[in-house]
Amino acid sequence: MSKNKKPKVLAIASPGGHWIQLNKICNPLEDRFDLTYVTPGSEYASAVKNSRKVLNVTDASADSKIKLIPLAFQLLWIFIKERPTAIISTGAAPGAIAFLLAKFLPIKTIWVDSIANVSQISRSGRMVMKHADKVITQWEPLSDGEKVVYKGSIL
Amino acid sequence: MIFVAVGTQFSFNRLIEYMDDWAAEHDESVIAQISDGSYTPKNMEWERFLNGEQYNKNIKEASVFVSHAGMGNIISAREQQTPIIVMNRQFKLGEHRNDHQADGLKWMGKLDGVYTASTQEELNQHLSHIEKLQLKNTISTVGNQNLTDYIADFINDDLTK
Repeated sequence: MSKNKKPKVLAIASPGGHWIQLNKICNPLEDRFDLTYVTPGSEYASAVKNSRKVLNVTDASADSKIKLIPLAFQLLWIFIKERPTAIISTGAAPGAIAFLLAKFLPIKTIWVDSIANVSQISRSGRMVMKHADKVITQWEPLSDGEKVVYKGSIL
Repeated sequence: MIFVAVGTQFSFNRLIEYMDDWAAEHDESVIAQISDGSYTPKNMEWERFLNGEQYNKNIKEASVFVSHAGMGNIISAREQQTPIIVMNRQFKLGEHRNDHQADGLKWMGKLDGVYTASTQEELNQHLSHIEKLQLKNTISTVGNQNLTDYIADFINDDLTK
C-alpha cells in the first residue's frame, strides 16, 4: 500500500437503527479513511450512491439462518475485492458473520454495539465477543474496561 | 399531521390499530407506514414502505412522530427536531425476538423530546396534549467526536494487526 493512500475500511450494518447508527459513527471517518458501506438494505444504495460507496448483500438475520450461507460468500468476495484494513459494524447478523470470516484474515474488526442494548450486549455482539479485535458499548455499565470499552454514545 | 411508522423488519399491528382508533375520533391527518402488517388502517392514509426521502420529509412535517421503540426512528426524529412517542414491541405477543424495546423505554423516556407508552392508554394520554410535546433544545446532529477518534486511532495503530 502506498503511503498517500487512505486505509480502506468496510462499514457493515443491517437496515434500520443499526444502519443509522453506523452512519453516525462512520460518516465522520470519511476524511481519514476510504470507506465502503455494506448493507442488506437495498433502499439505502440509491439514496446515497452519489456521495458514498454502498454495496448490497443478501438480507439475513437470526430468523433466516439459511441465507447466512450466500451472505458469507458475498462478504468473502467483498473482502477479496476491497482488501479492507478494518471492518466496523453496529450489528446485527451480517456484521457478525463478517467478523467471524475476518478472524482468519489480516483485517481488524471493531464492533460498536447498538445503543438499543442497554441491559446487556446484543446477541450478535455476544457472538463476536471472542473474535472481535475491539468491542465498544454505548453504555458505560456494560463496559469492563478491557475487552468491552465505553467511549460515549452517538446520542 | 401525525406520522406513524413501525420500521421495516417486523409488522406492529397493535400500534397501527391504536393509532387507527385514535384517528377515527380526531380531526387530524394521520399518515402511517405499516410494513407488512395484516391490519390495514381505515381512518389513516397508509403505505407499507416509504423511500428514505419521503420518510424523512414526513418526520420533518409531522407535529409528532409515533413509532415503535426503535433507535433509528428516535435518531431521525431528533435530526428533524420532531417530538416522538415510542411504544415498545412485546416479545410475549410475538412482536420482536426479545424484549429489548421494553428495556429501552426506561432510558428513551429520559431523552429530550422522546415520550414513551407501553399501553393504548398511555399513548392516548400523550396524544391528548400534542401541543405540549416538544424538544426543548436544538440537538446536534454530528456524531460523537470522542468515539470517532477512538476508532480512527485503533485502526491506525499498528496497521499490521
